[in-house]
Amino acid sequence: MELVLLFRLADETYGLEVAQVQEIVEAPNFDYIPLAPPPFVGAINFHGSILPVIDLPGYLGFAKAERDGRVIVLPPHICILGLTVTVLGRIVPLARESLLPPGGDRQQDAYIRGVINHCGEMINLLDIPRLLASLEGNTTSI
Amino acid sequence: MRVQISHKFVMGFIIVVGSSVFLNLLVPRLGVPEAWQQLVSISCALLVGLLFGWVFSKAFTANIGFLSEAAERLRLGDLSRQIRLRGTTFPDETTDLAASLNRVVETLRDLVGTIRASASKVAESAQGLSATSEEMTASSHEVSNTVEQISRGAETQAEMVERSSKLIREMAMAVDLVAAAAAKVAAAASETARTAHGGGETARATTEKMKHLLVDVESNGRQIVSFGVQVQKIGKIVEVITGIAQKTNLLALNATIEAARAGEYGRGFAVVAEEIRKLADSTGESAGEITTLIEAIREEGQQVQASMKQTLVEMDSGRSALDSTGRAFDEIIQTAVNTQTKATSIAELAQQQTDGAGKMVVAIEEIAKVVADNAAATQQVSASTQEQTASMEEMAHAAQDLALLADQLLEAVRRFQLGSERA
Repeated sequence: MELVLLFRLADETYGLEVAQVQEIVEAPNFDYIPLAPPPFVGAINFHGSILPVIDLPGYLGFAKAERDGRVIVLPPHICILGLTVTVLGRIVPLARESLLPPGGDRQQDAYIRGVINHCGEMINLLDIPRLLASLEGNTTSI
Repeated sequence: MRVQISHKFVMGFIIVVGSSVFLNLLVPRLGVPEAWQQLVSISCALLVGLLFGWVFSKAFTANIGFLSEAAERLRLGDLSRQIRLRGTTFPDETTDLAASLNRVVETLRDLVGTIRASASKVAESAQGLSATSEEMTASSHEVSNTVEQISRGAETQAEMVERSSKLIREMAMAVDLVAAAAAKVAAAASETARTAHGGGETARATTEKMKHLLVDVESNGRQIVSFGVQVQKIGKIVEVITGIAQKTNLLALNATIEAARAGEYGRGFAVVAEEIRKLADSTGESAGEITTLIEAIREEGQQVQASMKQTLVEMDSGRSALDSTGRAFDEIIQTAVNTQTKATSIAELAQQQTDGAGKMVVAIEEIAKVVADNAAATQQVSASTQEQTASMEEMAHAAQDLALLADQLLEAVRRFQLGSERA
């Protein structure tokens, strides 16, 4: 059993293990980061330190949609980064055994570690390391 | 030298006696024998007597003959000649008689001339009179015809007057009807004015009630507005509650994450956090329901306000309609009063017309009387004209008689011959 934070990116339901979440903070406004590359929407004050935030649905290629006022903050040992989502959901316990491997050609671009069936709803489990690697690959060239 | 016949006789006798005496003296001296003297004297005396007697009687007889001839001429009517005796040295009574006869002739001539002229003039005048009387007869015939025409005209006039009188009576009756109708109109106008007055009162009372109602509705609207304000305050509170619930939810999420990070030690805390999250969700849902309810209430309140505004507008229009109704009633009252006044004046005028018609009837009756009098006078004129015509005819007859008489007179004096010296 593992706790997973559910959220929606556009119409798709995604999940993220709680172990990979530092905190959820309210962020109604972002501070503008000069010369930041496109996925960064700005920065917020996170307990006194600057935390950059990326537009996750936009980065993953979803159509522009409303943004939840809350931002998922990743743990500092993984990355000092905030993620925006379309709608933030609940934390639910999921059985690791029910994780199915993702299929189809979306896998490379969708950064999905696997798919879990939760009460008839397919939840895409976000692959944070791959996302971060992609981000680094895309942004270090600046 | 005028000598009377008696004097002439005396003179002759004296001359004869004187001659016989003278001869008696003369003869002896002539030497006549004595024997013869007596004879000669007597013979001479006789001779002288015969001579004187012959001459004297011849002259006398001739004068008498002239006179008797003139008298005969006078008898025959010959007045053309004057009596002329032979010239004599010693005119006597015969000369006087001749002069008297001549004066008689002269007088007769004047008389006959005058009679002739007068008779001619009388005849002319009689003819003129006859002509005039004929003309007058003709004229009086014309007058008679005219009078007949006048008489007929008078009859027509009488009929016309009768018809006029009838028409005027009918007109008077019609005017009476008009007056009655005008009185009815006046009564109806008065009734209308009264009804309109009542209607106006009702409209005003309704307007007053509507004003009260409007005030009530306005206060209701204000109450609803304040109600809406209150509801909005509740909404704000609910928003606060919602925010608190979201924050609580967030805190619960973070608490869950922290609890997970704590591992086994955080398990109980995770349960509590889950419960808190559920409560926060429930609170959020309730707050959402409240918000929904508030939204519904606000919408309904807006609808109520809108309908109230509509009601206000409608009531306003109703009030203005009522105002215009009141004004219309006032106008109706005014019009009805005007109508009443006019109807009253119509009735008065009709009364005056009725009076006038009565006077006209009286006047027409007087005209009828005058017409009747005219007809009577015309008949009198006709009678007089007929009498005049008769008189004219009599006059014409008399003129003819007069002309006849004048002719007879002329005929009577025609045998007097006046000769060429007198016309």
